[in-house]
Amino acid sequence: MSVTPFDEMLLPDASPRETHADLHRVLSGMGSDDLSERAKQRDAYLDRHGITFTLGERERPLPMDLVPRLITPTEWKQIEAGVIQRLRALEAFLSDVYGDGRILADGLIPIKLVTSSTHFHRQAWGIQTPNNVRIHVSGIDLIRDEFGRFRVLEDNLRNPSGVSYVIENRRTLAHVLPEIFTDYRVRSVSEYPERLLEALRAAAPNGIIDPTVVVLTPGVHNSAHYEHAFLARNMGVELVEGRDLYCRDSRVWMRTTSGPEPVHVIYRRIDDDFLDPVHLRPDSILGVPGLVNAARAGYVTIANAIGNGVADDKAIYPYVPAFIKYYLEEEPILPNVDTFDLEDGDQRAWVLDRIETMVIKPSDASGGYGLMMGPSASDEQMAATREAVLADPRGWIAQPVVTFSTCPTVVDGGRIAPRHVDLRPFAVNDGSNVFVLPGGLSRVALPEGSLVVNSSQGGGSKDTWVIDDGTLDQAPEETPSPEPHERRLSRAVAANFSKRYNAPTSHDDRIVQQERQQQQGPTC
Amino acid sequence: MLSRLAESFFWLGRYVERAEATARLLAEHHQLLVEDHSVPEALAARLLLEALSLPTEGATTARTMVKRVVGTDADQSTIAGSVSAARANARAVRDSLSQDTFEALNSAHISLSRGIAFTSSPGVALHRVLERLLVVNGVVDWTMPRDQAFHFMVLGRELERIDLVGRLLDIRHDEWWPASGPAAVLRSAGALSPFLRTGKPMNSAEVRRFLVLDPAFPRSMRSCAADAENAVRGLQAMGASDSSQLLREVGMLRSELEYALITSPQDVDTHVENTRASAIRAHEEVRKAFFRQHGTIVWSH
Repeated sequence: MSVTPFDEMLLPDASPRETHADLHRVLSGMGSDDLSERAKQRDAYLDRHGITFTLGERERPLPMDLVPRLITPTEWKQIEAGVIQRLRALEAFLSDVYGDGRILADGLIPIKLVTSSTHFHRQAWGIQTPNNVRIHVSGIDLIRDEFGRFRVLEDNLRNPSGVSYVIENRRTLAHVLPEIFTDYRVRSVSEYPERLLEALRAAAPNGIIDPTVVVLTPGVHNSAHYEHAFLARNMGVELVEGRDLYCRDSRVWMRTTSGPEPVHVIYRRIDDDFLDPVHLRPDSILGVPGLVNAARAGYVTIANAIGNGVADDKAIYPYVPAFIKYYLEEEPILPNVDTFDLEDGDQRAWVLDRIETMVIKPSDASGGYGLMMGPSASDEQMAATREAVLADPRGWIAQPVVTFSTCPTVVDGGRIAPRHVDLRPFAVNDGSNVFVLPGGLSRVALPEGSLVVNSSQGGGSKDTWVIDDGTLDQAPEETPSPEPHERRLSRAVAANFSKRYNAPTSHDDRIVQQERQQQQGPTC
Repeated sequence: MLSRLAESFFWLGRYVERAEATARLLAEHHQLLVEDHSVPEALAARLLLEALSLPTEGATTARTMVKRVVGTDADQSTIAGSVSAARANARAVRDSLSQDTFEALNSAHISLSRGIAFTSSPGVALHRVLERLLVVNGVVDWTMPRDQAFHFMVLGRELERIDLVGRLLDIRHDEWWPASGPAAVLRSAGALSPFLRTGKPMNSAEVRRFLVLDPAFPRSMRSCAADAENAVRGLQAMGASDSSQLLREVGMLRSELEYALITSPQDVDTHVENTRASAIRAHEEVRKAFFRQHGTIVWSH
């Protein structure tokens, strides 16, 4: 590739950026032997804690790189504002297409494009969400272009995963490489489960004061099962499978040892299609028959809402900047990546002429499945993609290859080399506020030169630090700092109990004497 | 059983518990220091050392703090010291311990005395020690007959646990690190998941209340008191000498916690103080009722 990617840590003259200087110094001071040793400790830690994802049949740890990715306060303010803005527009779009359809009537987006989306579900039309939230959790993927500008690569509004790795990466890195934290104040990521639970409770059906929240998982064979269990455990809620739930009279119940218990909010981590065999895929055994009716009747909240996929469809993605102007009357803070509409004959011909410079993606998939990366694709792959596009233009989109930023990464043998990274900030919407977890999941493409970061395609991850220089808004503290005298008081109380109770060994002369005599053993 | 052996079992229980809880606390406290810089390193180091009654002079960095808490065989307030003392007591009763118990304890002792690399990432090294100590407790739990020896060990463990929960609460992580402190307190006691499942909000008052009064969590002061009471009852049933004072002490303690009326967070603090004082009295009663009476030995040199 001709363009030089933006490097997160180093300036073009290979000196570190000012914000990265301390990190650079500590890392340069460590030999490759030391780094390899730490890498071993990290692997042992991840294995021991069972921090894994399942790929194919195998459970494996998500490779976490030892070099963190840093985000400056200025960059973070822009990301946070951009993500919140985009989400507000996407929420408005969803409630519009599953409601009045104002945007369709105004002709801003072709009605056919919306209704032809695989993830547009008529079954969800007219379902009211209690606090007007459909995107309770989102993970919008960002990249940085060669000028260092953040751009949105894709929206994930259905079941974005990876947030558990954000939290575990921080703990893992602090565990195996504590010294690199010395010079930085890093914003904490540990509050996520609490925020998520608050948002889920806030989404409870009307009139339910103390809702029962559950996490619905497809089961232990799902690739993200670790995360489902992590979230349930850290929110202190039940992790359920479809067979644990049933519906009666449009209400949802779970089977417990003390009889049926009502369920009010379902944070589901299974796809729309499998949710309810009555309304969606009839062969689903993961779902709960009657769930859609229960949601429509307003007795249960499904989070994220059914049908969100229409808003993260890649063919609709090019219209999101227009949504921002239409619904919010604002200019987009985070720009899109250029995207070609392959249903348009001219654009399609133009793209297919230079297919080797393009990235071609299925418009309804995620996880990097089915993607064709022009510069590295084989002739057969290109031919196959060309055929697929011609057969179903609505099913594909094309983007020029964006050279996204690199970040120093530990590669084989403890060497540090640049590798491409993206960023998935996670946002939680409780209906009155959107909370963007500081940082997010930085995924790194481990093979040299690779631009595919998906963990299902051999990507790893990096701990992502939002540097706190005191200018960022902190979450409001619930507990005010205690007065100094209270602290002294607690010290004074402690003094009463400071005495340690120890067995009377070394202090007791007779025991010492006895010990000596025992050592001498029998004498003749 | 021999008073000498009873005493060794009691101390074995106390020291294993002390080593395990101190190692866990050190690992969590260190991780908190690394991740959350709300409190300057020197102060954070001092808070932990003070709570563990270790000298604070000159300990200004996380590294010196770790070194001091890991400590040496000679100081039984440290991890190395309590492991070493536990091992010394285990040796004295080796014939009545299962081989696995002694092995696990011995290997914890060996890894500590070899001076593992505690300098850069203490969590990694502490984990190995913790793992050994967990094995000790596990093997004891499923191989030791429920005889007097077992009850003495449990009694020692529960009294030590009360002391350690008190020390943990003394640090006031929740006040110094308002954001990540409450979770750190819970993790230090292995109580994070059990607490979350109660559905209570994770704030200072609820966390302290849980660690003092929760009826189901085995490290809450209330559960410790109940287990101590059961151990004393077990000893009585097996014909151990007169221990009515001791039973009265632990029984009062248990019922005070069981029927505690909490109207403000300060009430919990009052219970913490009373419980710790009562555990100290119980310790004295155990000594008086069962162990060697040093002052009464009449023969002389």
